[in-house]
Amino acid sequence: MRNHSSSMQLNRRNFLKMAGSAALLTAGATAMPGMLRRTLLPEAVAQAQSPYDLYYAGTDGWVYLPPTPQIFLPGTQTAIHPDPLAPAPFNTYIFGFRNVSALTTEQKNNQKNKAQHNAPLFWLDQFNPSNPVDFRMQVTNIGLALRPDLFDAHTLHWHGFRNVIPFFDGEPTGSIAVPTGANFTYIYRPRDPGTYMFHCHVEDVEHVHMGMTGLVFVRPLQNGNTSLYASGKYAYNDGDGSTGYDREFAMFLSEVWAESHWSDAHIQLPEWSDYRADFALLNGRVYPDTLAPNAPIDAGASVHALAVQTVNNPGQPDNGDLVPPPGRPELQYQPHSSRITCQPGERVLLRFANLGFKESAITLAGIQMRVIGRDATLMRGRDGTDTSYETDTIAIGAGESYDVLFTTPPFSGGAGSTGLGYDSYLLYNRAYTRANNLAAGGFGGQATEVHVYPNGALAAQQYPNDWGI
Amino acid sequence: MSKSRMKWMRLGLVLVLGLLLLSDAPKTYAIEAAGPTAQTDPVTQTDTNTTTGDTIYLPMIAAPVGQTTAAEPSTPVQSAANTTNAVGIICTYGASPNPTFTLTARDGYITLPDGNTAYMWGYAEGSNSFQHPGPVLCVNEGDTVTVVLQNTLSEDVSIMFPGHETVLANGVQAQPQFDGGGNLTSLTNVAVANGGSVTYSFVAGAPGTYLYESGANPRKQVSMGLFGALIVRPSMGADFAYNRADSRFMPAEEFMVLLSEIDPYQHQAAENGAPYNLNNYKPRYWLINGRGFPDSIADNFAPWLPTQPYGALARVHEFHPNETLPPSDPNYHPYPGMIRYLNVGTEDYPFHPHGNNGLVIGRDGRALEGATGQDLSFEKFDINIGPGQTWDVIFKWYDAEQYNATTNPVPVTIPNLPNMVYGTFYGGSPYLGTTGAIPTGGEGLNQCGEFYIISHNHALYQITSWGVNMTGPITYLRVDPPLPNNCP
Repeated sequence: MRNHSSSMQLNRRNFLKMAGSAALLTAGATAMPGMLRRTLLPEAVAQAQSPYDLYYAGTDGWVYLPPTPQIFLPGTQTAIHPDPLAPAPFNTYIFGFRNVSALTTEQKNNQKNKAQHNAPLFWLDQFNPSNPVDFRMQVTNIGLALRPDLFDAHTLHWHGFRNVIPFFDGEPTGSIAVPTGANFTYIYRPRDPGTYMFHCHVEDVEHVHMGMTGLVFVRPLQNGNTSLYASGKYAYNDGDGSTGYDREFAMFLSEVWAESHWSDAHIQLPEWSDYRADFALLNGRVYPDTLAPNAPIDAGASVHALAVQTVNNPGQPDNGDLVPPPGRPELQYQPHSSRITCQPGERVLLRFANLGFKESAITLAGIQMRVIGRDATLMRGRDGTDTSYETDTIAIGAGESYDVLFTTPPFSGGAGSTGLGYDSYLLYNRAYTRANNLAAGGFGGQATEVHVYPNGALAAQQYPNDWGI
Repeated sequence: MSKSRMKWMRLGLVLVLGLLLLSDAPKTYAIEAAGPTAQTDPVTQTDTNTTTGDTIYLPMIAAPVGQTTAAEPSTPVQSAANTTNAVGIICTYGASPNPTFTLTARDGYITLPDGNTAYMWGYAEGSNSFQHPGPVLCVNEGDTVTVVLQNTLSEDVSIMFPGHETVLANGVQAQPQFDGGGNLTSLTNVAVANGGSVTYSFVAGAPGTYLYESGANPRKQVSMGLFGALIVRPSMGADFAYNRADSRFMPAEEFMVLLSEIDPYQHQAAENGAPYNLNNYKPRYWLINGRGFPDSIADNFAPWLPTQPYGALARVHEFHPNETLPPSDPNYHPYPGMIRYLNVGTEDYPFHPHGNNGLVIGRDGRALEGATGQDLSFEKFDINIGPGQTWDVIFKWYDAEQYNATTNPVPVTIPNLPNMVYGTFYGGSPYLGTTGAIPTGGEGLNQCGEFYIISHNHALYQITSWGVNMTGPITYLRVDPPLPNNCP
């Protein structure tokens, strides 16, 4: 069995010293296939940027996961989590995307090494043939600050998009990818509402696991029709209001195998068949951080994606960096909250997508869930037979999505069952062996709470995952 | 990472050299794959070819085969029947309505994407040499199927036929086997070690896709490769999955995705006749149709894979709804394609076809329908198939936007070459049937503007081969341009 003997490891400082030598670069370039070599050529200014609906940048960065218990490289005394290279208050190296739609070029370039996980949630309307509008997703690659030796390209693969041509699929072997400094625009005309996911597909074993992953959903053309459900908001074009909802929460599942994240930071190669989920994440965080607030959102700018406010310290220019959730500076690059808030009688839509590598068993204790969609498909047979079903646990495999509805139960009264003004129901990954990140007391990982408030306590949602508080 | 990508590209290049230069392919592949990818893992480095000498031969599938009694390898019988399809399911047929198959349990080696070989057990057809996986047995609904199992291995083996009722062994009800102390020794009747045989028979009652696999010491023997696929064709016809009009598919676009895994230490122990503590079981390889990528997209019977006859490339043409094209049109294509998924591994495999959602119309040899025929099928972009399950999936690929270089161009600026990284299957153009500029000396492998759309296991750590990323259970959907085209 392969092990990580010290003689195999290349000291990071020495490696960078070597990489700085012109001789090695030349030799390396000669040994490289032409396709890779070309990316080393001096890049002219990228092409004139076309208008876009969203503009995402791929880069590296750091996030925070519970620092205890410490994790060691198997069979060694090498502590890999928290990563000693990490700048405080962070501890885990990632690759990821940032939403740079509203940033200037200078602000955008400042975001190198400031990736977030999960990638910014985005959504769009179903393509309307009678009012055809392309959705334009521009992607750029601003490089990896900690790994300048890895000049990997990036792509954005919309996982589950039906009948896409390879050019817009983001799978790099059958198509093209975005080298550092370049831009590419993906055109989407989504004809099928539902919940999907997206990720970089370059070296996807690595880039997906390192965090270049997120959730995307498509709103149905039926939206706005208040005759089927009063809110006029639906998960699908159901024709009968059965997928109508009042509040929606994106629930993006991912995982962190500490060894692979440490390996990328320390110029090592992990053995992927040793994979394990040290941390199972919900919207990029583990419980109880999942309950922490969303980063401050600019609701007006959140037309297609959650627009996190950027830093603008008095007297200093806005450098484009993210404003952390209130009181949680260590969650600066994990902006998405998973706390589910709702009022009695309201229908709540949970959109699950799993880009971890293991199957999750998501249980909602005390409230029945109705599965109304899977893999962006309404639960109906070809002849219209209703195949939706109720359950308290959904098994979500790697790469699957589930849309579930629940009807909020009554409020228990007074200060609620928690004494905090709400009743609480736990939503958690029942696959305990990979879900609790060895947290003290056994509570951690892929979990959050449903908080039922009395009627009138919550405002309408302004954006997905909005608490309404 | 760049390193693994380079390695992958090298394998890809070699693969295509193989495709283009079939006669030289084995040598090319062996040289290229052995050097840079050689591992130091304590797994046998035996070259597959040494098991057969210099003669590269194909494990040919014979048309109706009678019972044979030979237990020793003999020269494979070449048959013209159904052996020429480069892609798609290769059926092994018997003579309906009473087909008889002889399966011989024997050992051999397969080649893995990192250059290693693995010692395997498998069911070979008749007196043919070892192959992996076992032959795809295709029978008709209502057939009385007879399978004679002959055993050349050093321990008892057997065959289970899950999903079929009233399986007989040597003419009587097949039964779990117990030793004198009442301990279970096999899930069904066995062919005893070193030359024993047993004859199973059953009526193929329900159309669909089934596994067959060893029931003797299955934790070991199934992992070692004693498994295969069985297809029961419905009475409505071979181009239907079930006896439902809505299960019709294009027969030329019927594919298999058989998913499995390998723990190399287990196989090494078996090769050495040594015990193996299954508490240490840990797969390091994951395969599709017995191959890892890029071998997975090589043709059926690729000569450099003499023991791994089944490719996994899906090659299709565009779907056109019925009535949009007359049957005389060369692009007449009114039915979907069909993929038969099987999982012989130990956990759920989430298999993800890009841009090509599948409609799951049946599982485990039963159509997804209600008591009065209601359609309970469901569409998936991720086929999350459990151990021992089979899923029957139909799919349609159509050119949704009909992008065209002159009449309907993509509404984006196509980056110039220095501003992109292009993949080896990219044709230099976004358009189906159009090829564009690839630099001189470039590595474009696109032949005629066809599309390559990937399908892969989305438990992504499993698309590796003990350290070589972007291998394992990966294949492609190749979409050819409308006819007439310039494709070879």
